[in-house]
Amino acid sequence: MKAERVGSLFWLAAGLISTYGSVQLGLGKFREPGSGFFPFLAGCFISLMAMIVFFQSFLRGREVQAKLSSLWEGLRWRRPIEIGLLTLGYILALERLGFLLTGFLLLFVILKGVERVSWGKAILIPVLTLGVSYLLFNVFLKATLPKGVFGF
Amino acid sequence: MDFFGNLMVGFSVTFQPINLSFCFLGVFVGTMIGVLPGIGPVGTMAILLPVTYGIPPTTAIIMLAGIYYGAQYGGSTTSILVNIPGEAASVVTCLDGYQMALQGRAGRALGIAAFGSFIAGTFGVIGLQALAPPLVSVALRFGPPEYFSLMTLGFVILTYLAQKSMAKALMMAGVGILLGVIGLDTMTGMPRFTFNIPELLDGVGLAPLAMGLFGISEILLNIERKIKQELLTTKVKGLLPTLEDWGRSIWAILRGTAVGFFLGILPGGGAVLGSFVSYAVEKRVSRHPEKFGTGMIEGVAAPEAANNSAAQGAFIPLLTLGIPANVVMAILLGALMIHGITPGPMLLKEHPDLFWGVISSMYVGNAMLLVLNLPLIGLWVQLLRVPYPILFPLILFICLIGSYLINNSTVDVALMLFFGVVGYLMRKFEYEPAPLVLAFVLSPLLENALRQSLILSDGSFTIFFLRPISGGCLVLAAVLLMTSVLPFIGKRREKILKKGEEDE
Repeated sequence: MKAERVGSLFWLAAGLISTYGSVQLGLGKFREPGSGFFPFLAGCFISLMAMIVFFQSFLRGREVQAKLSSLWEGLRWRRPIEIGLLTLGYILALERLGFLLTGFLLLFVILKGVERVSWGKAILIPVLTLGVSYLLFNVFLKATLPKGVFGF
Repeated sequence: MDFFGNLMVGFSVTFQPINLSFCFLGVFVGTMIGVLPGIGPVGTMAILLPVTYGIPPTTAIIMLAGIYYGAQYGGSTTSILVNIPGEAASVVTCLDGYQMALQGRAGRALGIAAFGSFIAGTFGVIGLQALAPPLVSVALRFGPPEYFSLMTLGFVILTYLAQKSMAKALMMAGVGILLGVIGLDTMTGMPRFTFNIPELLDGVGLAPLAMGLFGISEILLNIERKIKQELLTTKVKGLLPTLEDWGRSIWAILRGTAVGFFLGILPGGGAVLGSFVSYAVEKRVSRHPEKFGTGMIEGVAAPEAANNSAAQGAFIPLLTLGIPANVVMAILLGALMIHGITPGPMLLKEHPDLFWGVISSMYVGNAMLLVLNLPLIGLWVQLLRVPYPILFPLILFICLIGSYLINNSTVDVALMLFFGVVGYLMRKFEYEPAPLVLAFVLSPLLENALRQSLILSDGSFTIFFLRPISGGCLVLAAVLLMTSVLPFIGKRREKILKKGEEDE
C-alpha cells in the first residue's frame, strides 16, 4: 500500500476517535461551549484534512508515490528499534536500579553492543558522562535523581 | 521612556552577574549545538527547559534566547567546513561557503559569516527595540476575537510556508491543538483525554513533547543512516576578511539583514526562509549570478546575516502579541508561561525588566558570539571530530535525565519516548512536527479566545467578522487558503518550495 494512504488513514482514525471522545465530554451550546466543543472542532478538522490527503494520493502519479516498505529500504532499520527498546528498558528500570546504574548500563550497551566501540571507550565514556551529570544535577542544581534499591 | 532610557533599564538587568553568566551559557550551548549535526536549538531548548525552573524568568529567557541566536552562528561552521549544515537556516551557506573552503578560503568564509551575523544581529535587535513598543500599543486594542483570528491567520501562514503538503501541515496543527487540550478543562474542571493517568491531569508537558518530536526522533532517523563525517584537514587561518571581501559583502549583509528581519516577523517565516530568500536576492542583484555556488563571498554573507536578523525579528510577535512566530518562539512562550508570565501587550507594562532585559542581552550575546566564533574556531572544529556513534548516546542520555527532572516522574520520560517514536514516523511519512508544537502551545490560548468570544457574542460567530481587525485577519487567511487550492497558484507554490528543497 502507498505510504501516503496508510498515513492519512491513521490520522483519519485518530480524528474520528477524538471527535467521538469530544462528544462524550459534552459539546455545550454556542453561547456556552462545553469541554468537548473545542476538541470536537479539532477532531473534525483532522479528519477532514486526512480525507483530503487520502484523496489527493489518488490524483498524484503512481511513480511519485512511495510504497510503505520503501520508507525503510536500504536503511539500517533495526537500529531505531534496538535503541527504542533499550530506552524503554531504561525507563522501566530507572526507579528500581537508580540513576547511576541504569545510566551506565544504557550507555555501555549502546556503545559496546550497538555501536561496537572499543572496551576502553565503552567504559570510559559512560563513567565520565555519569560523573559530570551527577555533579551538575545532584551537586550544583540539587535535583533529585532516583537512587534505586542499592542506594546510589 | 525613550530609546536610550529603555536600553539603560535593559542593560542594568543584563549586566547582573547571574544574567550575564546564563547569557554566556546560552550562546555557548547555542554555538555548540549549531556546530553539532543531529541536534538543533528546539531540542536543546526543550532539554534545558527543566533546568530553568529553578532560576528567575528573565535569566531563563535570556539563556534560551541565547541558544537560539547562538545556534545561527554555530550552524555556519559545519556548512563551511564539512558541507553539512548544522542548522536548517545554514543550508544555503553550504553552496558557496564549502566551495570557498575547498579553495583554501575557509577562514575568510567563517570570518565574514561571523561578522555578518554580528552586524545583522545588532541591527535586528535595534529593529526589535524600535518596532516593539508601537506594536504593543496596537495590540492593547485586541480582544478575544482579534486574538482568535490572528492566531488562525498565523496557523494558515505557517502551513502555507510548509515545506511539504499544506493539508498535512494543517492536519498536524489540528493534532497539536488536540494534544493541547489534554488535562483539566480550565473553565469546567473536567478532565479531558487523560485515560485515568493522574500525571496527565496537568496536561502533556511541552518539554517531553518537544524533546521527543525534535530530539529523540532526530536520533532515531540519524542512526538508521550512515553519517559521513568529513572534515577539511587544512588549517583554518586568515579569519579577518580583506578590504575587497568587505567591499563585496557589506551590501549583501545589509540586504540580508533587512530581508531576514522582516521575514522573521512572519509566522512560519523565521531564519530558514530568510536565508533562502536573501540568497535568491543576492543572486538576482549580482552582476555575476552564474558564479554563485562557486565560492562567492556574498553567498555566505547574505544568508548568514539574514538568519541572524530573522532570529531577532521573530521575537516581535512573541513579545508584543504573545503569539510565537515559529516553534522556537513557541518553546520560549511555554517557558514564560511555566514561570507564570503571559507574553503579550501587557508584558512591557508588567515586566519591563524582563522585556528590556532580554532585548539588551541580545546586544551582549552578539558580542560574546563574535568572540566565541572567531578566536575559538579551533575548539568548534575539534568538536566536529566527535563521531556520531559516540555523540548520540550522550544526547539521548541528556534527554532522558532532562525529561525525568521535570516532575521527577518516569511518565514524562515515557511520554518523551512515545513522542520520539511518533516524530520518527511522522518524518518518515513526511509530516512536519513544527506546526504540531506551535499549535500545542497556542491551543489553550486559542480555546480561551474562542470560548470568550462566543460568550461575548451570545453564541454568534459573526463577532469574528464584524470587528475590523479580526475580520481582516480571517479574510486574509481565507485568501491564502484559496490561493493554495487554486491550481495555477498551488502549482507555483509547490514549484517554489520544491526549488528550495532541491537547493537543500
